[in-house]
Amino acid sequence: MKWLELVQVAGATLLAAGSVVVLYSLGVRLTAVAGDIRENSPSWIRPLAYACFGLCGVAVLCGLYLIIPYFSG
Amino acid sequence: MVALVISLALFFDFTNGFHDTANAMATPIATGAIKPKTAVALAAVLNLVGAFLSTEVAKTVSGGIIREGSDGIQITPEIIFAGLMGAILWNMITWLKGLPSSSSHALFGGLIGAAIAGIGIHSVNFESLMQKVILPAIFAPLIAGAVAYLCTRLAYALTSRHDPETGDKLTQKRGGFRTGQIFTSSLVALAHGTNDAQKTMGIITLVLIAAGTQDVGSGPQFWVIAACAFAIAIGTYAGGWRIIRTMGSGLTDVKPAQGFAAETSTAAAILSSSHLGFALSTTQVASGSVIGSGLGRRGSSVRWGTAGRIAIGWLFTLPAAGIMGALTAWLVMTGVVGIVLAAVAGTAAVLYMYLHSKRSHVSHHNAVEVEEAGQAVRFRKKKAIAVGRGNTKPKGDLS
Repeated sequence: MKWLELVQVAGATLLAAGSVVVLYSLGVRLTAVAGDIRENSPSWIRPLAYACFGLCGVAVLCGLYLIIPYFSG
Repeated sequence: MVALVISLALFFDFTNGFHDTANAMATPIATGAIKPKTAVALAAVLNLVGAFLSTEVAKTVSGGIIREGSDGIQITPEIIFAGLMGAILWNMITWLKGLPSSSSHALFGGLIGAAIAGIGIHSVNFESLMQKVILPAIFAPLIAGAVAYLCTRLAYALTSRHDPETGDKLTQKRGGFRTGQIFTSSLVALAHGTNDAQKTMGIITLVLIAAGTQDVGSGPQFWVIAACAFAIAIGTYAGGWRIIRTMGSGLTDVKPAQGFAAETSTAAAILSSSHLGFALSTTQVASGSVIGSGLGRRGSSVRWGTAGRIAIGWLFTLPAAGIMGALTAWLVMTGVVGIVLAAVAGTAAVLYMYLHSKRSHVSHHNAVEVEEAGQAVRFRKKKAIAVGRGNTKPKGDLS
């Protein structure tokens, strides 16, 4: 049994899924804050939300880049 | 014989596709993120793309489990034919039961059974079997489930909003996750394409090598890749609605944030494992994720009865496909008549199951909503009875 590989897979899974979920959740939260009518939230909140979504997309693309042999050799 | 095996392999690829549509698309369909028809079309296209991305797994399929090569046992197209037959039949049976079982396990089981029956028990490398199939089967759902649990917790913790003064719950506005689900489920479909289409590519390549039309140790040819990609895409588009129902609403009630977390974990687990050369079953990863995310969301319950049924299905997959593979192998060993008999019997069995499935039709329009519809009907009946009895309550109260 290749325990090292198992740990590696578990770690990579946790890292990848965790970062995507955290970034997207932050994006969702910030969008929600920016959408509040009651408070007048600072104007930088909405761009920050979009930045989170963007980073999340970049994280996914980065993962794909690492995996597809055509790109990473 | 070679042509027959290739067409059978492509049919297996097809069953693999519609068996596993659920892995990617059950949760977004359940939360209403994508319409069922659109979902399967999207999954089909992404499976097609995914199949072209990589051929790393194809080179190692069945590698080592059945001792092959010059010093080992010569694997014949007949054995592969028998193995595929076993795998297809088991895939069809589990689909009929709506069980998400692993297509790769069915394939391995069929091949092992056929090899034992056709060559002998010494042809199977049990150490390799343990390492490549059985232990990953235990760990795949555990890893995916644990990660999905953590991610669901994270997603809910990060998006829970309370009023800073009164401490009341604000509107949570988690609808954004529904959009995100479109992307994460696409990722799962892509991962499935790269992972599972390659198994069939590997099989066809194995047949071509065994038949002497391709060099030993070479990768799959382009037409093989293309054929497998299309077979799995068409299969995915056909949609295994029965399994989608089990995964989408049978295990736990899926909410968008939870579905998002589950899909991300599934995609991450499949992609990282297949990249690091530690092949995990797509189906087992996906089921583990759905259960893990169900545990992670407060107020949701996991239906352990269904989960148990699925686990039992997993236990049976390897031996059941193996037995069917072995029976086919014995039939095939008797000669040309046996091969024809096996082919006819297999086709008949698949046709019978298809016709049987028509009796209780599960399709895109009722794959997930079925339960709610049932409740609505029952509810209305009760009302009718109450009215019929001469209910004393005023009519306005009925709603």
